[in-house]
Amino acid sequence: MSHAIVTRGLEKRYPKGGTYAVQGVDLAVDHGEVYGFLGPNGAGKSTMVRLLVTLLRPSAGTAHVAGHDVVKDPAGVRASIGVALQDAAIDPLMTGRELLELQAVLHGLSRRASAPRGALLLERVGLSDAGDKRVGEYSGGMRRRLDLAMALIHEPRVLFLDEPTTGLDPSSRLLLWDEVRRLRDQGTTVFLTTQYLEEADQLADRVGIIAGGQLVAEDTPEALKAQVGHPHVHVVLTNAADRERSLQVASAVGDPRPGVTDHCLDVSVQDGSLELPALVRALDDAGIAVASLDVVRPTLDDVFLQKTGAHLAEEAVA
Amino acid sequence: MPPDTQSSMPVSAPPAPALPKSGRRPRFVDPAAVLVLVRRGFNEILRVPGASIPGAIAPIIFLVGLTMVFGQATDIPGYGTDSFLAFVLPVALLQSAGFTGGATGVNLGRDIEQGWLDRLLLSPTSRSTILAGLVLSAAARVLIPVPPLLVMAIVLGAPMPSLVGVLIILAVVPIFSAIAATWASVLALKFRSQQASPLIQASILSSILFSTSYAPLELLEPWMRTIAELNPVTYVIEGLRQCFVGEISWTVTWQAFAALGGLGAVFVTLALLGLRRFER
Amino acid sequence: MITPSVALALRALRLTLRRPQFLIPLFLMPSIFLAVNTGGLSATTRLPGFPETTGFLAFQLAAAMVQSLMLSGLQAGIAVSLEIESGFFDRIVTAPVPRLAIVAGRLMAAAVLGAGQVLFFLIVGVIFGADLAGGVVGALVVVVLGALAGVAFAAIGLAIAFRARQASIVQGLFPFVFAVLYLSSAFFPQELLGPPADTISAFNPLSYIAEGLRAPIAYGMDALPILEGLAMTVAVIVVASLLAVAGLRWRLADAA
Repeated sequence: MSHAIVTRGLEKRYPKGGTYAVQGVDLAVDHGEVYGFLGPNGAGKSTMVRLLVTLLRPSAGTAHVAGHDVVKDPAGVRASIGVALQDAAIDPLMTGRELLELQAVLHGLSRRASAPRGALLLERVGLSDAGDKRVGEYSGGMRRRLDLAMALIHEPRVLFLDEPTTGLDPSSRLLLWDEVRRLRDQGTTVFLTTQYLEEADQLADRVGIIAGGQLVAEDTPEALKAQVGHPHVHVVLTNAADRERSLQVASAVGDPRPGVTDHCLDVSVQDGSLELPALVRALDDAGIAVASLDVVRPTLDDVFLQKTGAHLAEEAVA
Repeated sequence: MPPDTQSSMPVSAPPAPALPKSGRRPRFVDPAAVLVLVRRGFNEILRVPGASIPGAIAPIIFLVGLTMVFGQATDIPGYGTDSFLAFVLPVALLQSAGFTGGATGVNLGRDIEQGWLDRLLLSPTSRSTILAGLVLSAAARVLIPVPPLLVMAIVLGAPMPSLVGVLIILAVVPIFSAIAATWASVLALKFRSQQASPLIQASILSSILFSTSYAPLELLEPWMRTIAELNPVTYVIEGLRQCFVGEISWTVTWQAFAALGGLGAVFVTLALLGLRRFER
Repeated sequence: MITPSVALALRALRLTLRRPQFLIPLFLMPSIFLAVNTGGLSATTRLPGFPETTGFLAFQLAAAMVQSLMLSGLQAGIAVSLEIESGFFDRIVTAPVPRLAIVAGRLMAAAVLGAGQVLFFLIVGVIFGADLAGGVVGALVVVVLGALAGVAFAAIGLAIAFRARQASIVQGLFPFVFAVLYLSSAFFPQELLGPPADTISAFNPLSYIAEGLRAPIAYGMDALPILEGLAMTVAVIVVASLLAVAGLRWRLADAA
C-alpha cells in the first residue's frame, strides 16, 4: 500500500438518495504527509472526516485508511488511526489520567499497561500536573491537548485532527503546531481539517480545498498560490500627479500592463524580492517620490477565492 | 484556571509499550474495557453531589406512601397477605431498578449530544463491549439504592426474605436494571438526544405498573388483567413478590427469569442494531 | 399593571405550549397513574367504609387533576428558577415592568393552563365511562376550581423558586409532590387511610382541594365539599402569593 489514505469516488448523501454532503471525492494522502483539508462550514469537511474514521458509512465509492477498507474492515481502520474530533467530547467528571487510561484500555492495552502509558502521554502534552484534576476544571487549551494525547495513546499511523486549533489562543495554537510537526517528523500521517489558511500554509505538505462537497483544488501550498498568479509590488506614490510617469517606469522593469489607481501603482513581478531594487532605482531615477513599497504575494485565501468564489477568512470568523 | 502556555511539550516521543497488533478482530466482549466503562458509570452518582439521593428516596416515598394510602386494600380477599407493604415492595424494587436503568439511557442521550459516544465508537473495541459497559453499569449502580429500600421496608414490617429470597432479589433487580438500561439505550440511540428522557422514564414506569403491581390478577379490572397477562414484567414482579408473600416456588422463579431472558434478548438485539445504525 | 401582567402571562403560556417535553409529562404521568389505580384498585370500592360514588374512575379523576396541577406548579417554579439562573429574570426586572406583574403574569398563565388540565381529565374520564354526578354544571364548577387550584400551586412554586439558589433544588422537589399527595385524601377516602396519613390528611389543604374537585364528579353537587374546597384554594392562593411576593422582594434586595 503506497498511500495512507485513498478514496475513489467517495460519496455521502443525506438523507438516503438526497443531497450530496460529499460528492465523488478522489484523494490520495502519502505516508508521513501532513494533508491540510480546507473548506468553509458546511462544505463537507466534517462529513469527509467522519467517513474516513468510520463514524459514517459512504453512500458510494471506496475509502482505504492505513490499508483497511472503511466499510469492510472498520475495526482495522479504528485500530490504526487516532482521532481528535472538533468538539473534543471529554467527560468532565473524569480526570485526565482516568480518560487516558480508559482510552488505552479501549484500544486493547491491559489495565496494567495503561497506567504508565497514560502517565507518559500526560507528560508529553504537558499535563502531568493537571493529570489528577477533573477535566471539567481544564481550560480550552488543556482539553485540546488532552484530546490530542488520547488520540495518540496507541501510536496511530494515521492521525485525524478536525479543526484542532479552533477557539484556541495564539500561544496554545503554536504549541499544537509544534506537536504536529514533531509527529510528521516521526513519520505519522496527519489529516488536518482547518478553517485557518495560515494553519494549512504553516503545517500542510499538501492542501485540498473542498467546496459544495467536491474537491476543487489540491496541491502544495506553494503550487496552489502560484496557480492564482505572481506576486506584485504595491507602490504608494507621494504625489498622485506622478501616476502616468510611474506607469512607464513600471513597464521598464518588465510588467507590460501595470495597474494604477489614484496614489497607488501595482506592478506584477516574477519573484518579488529580485525585481525590487531595479524598480526602486528606476523610480528614483525618474524623480518619483515614493511613500511606501510592499511585495504582495498570493495567499491561500486568493486561491480559495479563485476556486470557490468566496473568502475562507470571512467564513472562519462567522 | 491554570495557564495553557507555561508547560511545553517535550521533544522526544516516548516509545510505545507493547501495543496490540492492529487489524486483530476485537473481542466480542472485552472484560477490561467493560470494567473501565462501568467505573465511569459510577461517576454519574458518586462524583455529582446529591445525585444518588433521588434514586434512593423516590422508591421509599412511593412504597411508604402507597402503603399508607391503599393499605386497606389487602382486606379484600385474594391478596394472600395482610401487608400491602409486602405486596408492593417488589414494585418499589423494580421502580428503583427501572429508574437507574432509565437514567443510563438519559445519560447516553447526553453522551450522544456531546460526542462522547463518537469517541467510544472510534476505538477498536467491539460495539457489544460498549453496550455491555453501559448496561452492566446500570446493573451495578442499582445495588446502591436497593439496600436502604429493603432495610426501610423490613423496619416498617415487611417480612424478612429467606436466603434464597435474597439471592433471587439480588439477581432479578440488577438484571431488570440492565434490561431497562438496554431499552433506554435503544430509545437514546434512536432519538440521539436527551429529549427522549420523558419517553424513556414513562415507558419503563408503565411496564412496571401495568401488571399485577397493585393487586393480584383476579382482582384487576378485566382490561388491566389482559394487559398484565401479556406483560412479561408481571412475571418479574411475581418472581420478586414470592420472596415477601407466600412461599418461593420454582415455577414462579423460572418464569421470572424466562421473562427477563426474553426481554433481554429482544432489547440487546435492538440496541446492537441501533449502535450499528448509528454510523449511518 | 394589567397590560404587562397579561403580556408576561401570554409569554409564559407560549413557552409552556412550545415545549412538549414540559407539557407532555403534566398529562402523561397523571394519566398513567389514573389508569393503573383504576385498573388495579377498583375492587377497593367494595371495602366497608368506601363512600357511595359514581365509580372508582370518577373517584380517581380528582387525584389525577391535583397531581397534574401540582406538577405544573412545580414546573412554573422550575421555569422561574431557570430564568433566574440564565439571567433572563434580571432583564425583566430591569425593564419598566411593575414587579408584581412578574408574579401576576405567571399566576394568570397558571389559571389558563389549570383550566385546560382539568378539562383534559374530565374528557378522559367521560371517554372511559365515568359518570359525572354533577352534570354540565358540575363540570363547570370543576373547571373553575381547577383554574384556581392551578393558581394556588403555581404561587407555591414561585414562592419556592424565588428563595431557591439553584434550579436543581426546585427540580429536586419532585418526590415531595408525591409525599404531599400521599398524605392527603387525594387518592383514597380519608376514613380508609392508614396512619399517619389518616390524621395528617385532615390538616392537609390538598385534601380539601381534591375533595372540592371530586364532589361534582363522583358524589353530586353537595355544597359543603365544594365550598370547603373553594375556601381552601383561595386561602392557599392568598398565603402563597404573599410568600411569592415576599420572596421576589427578597430576591431583588439580594440582587441589588
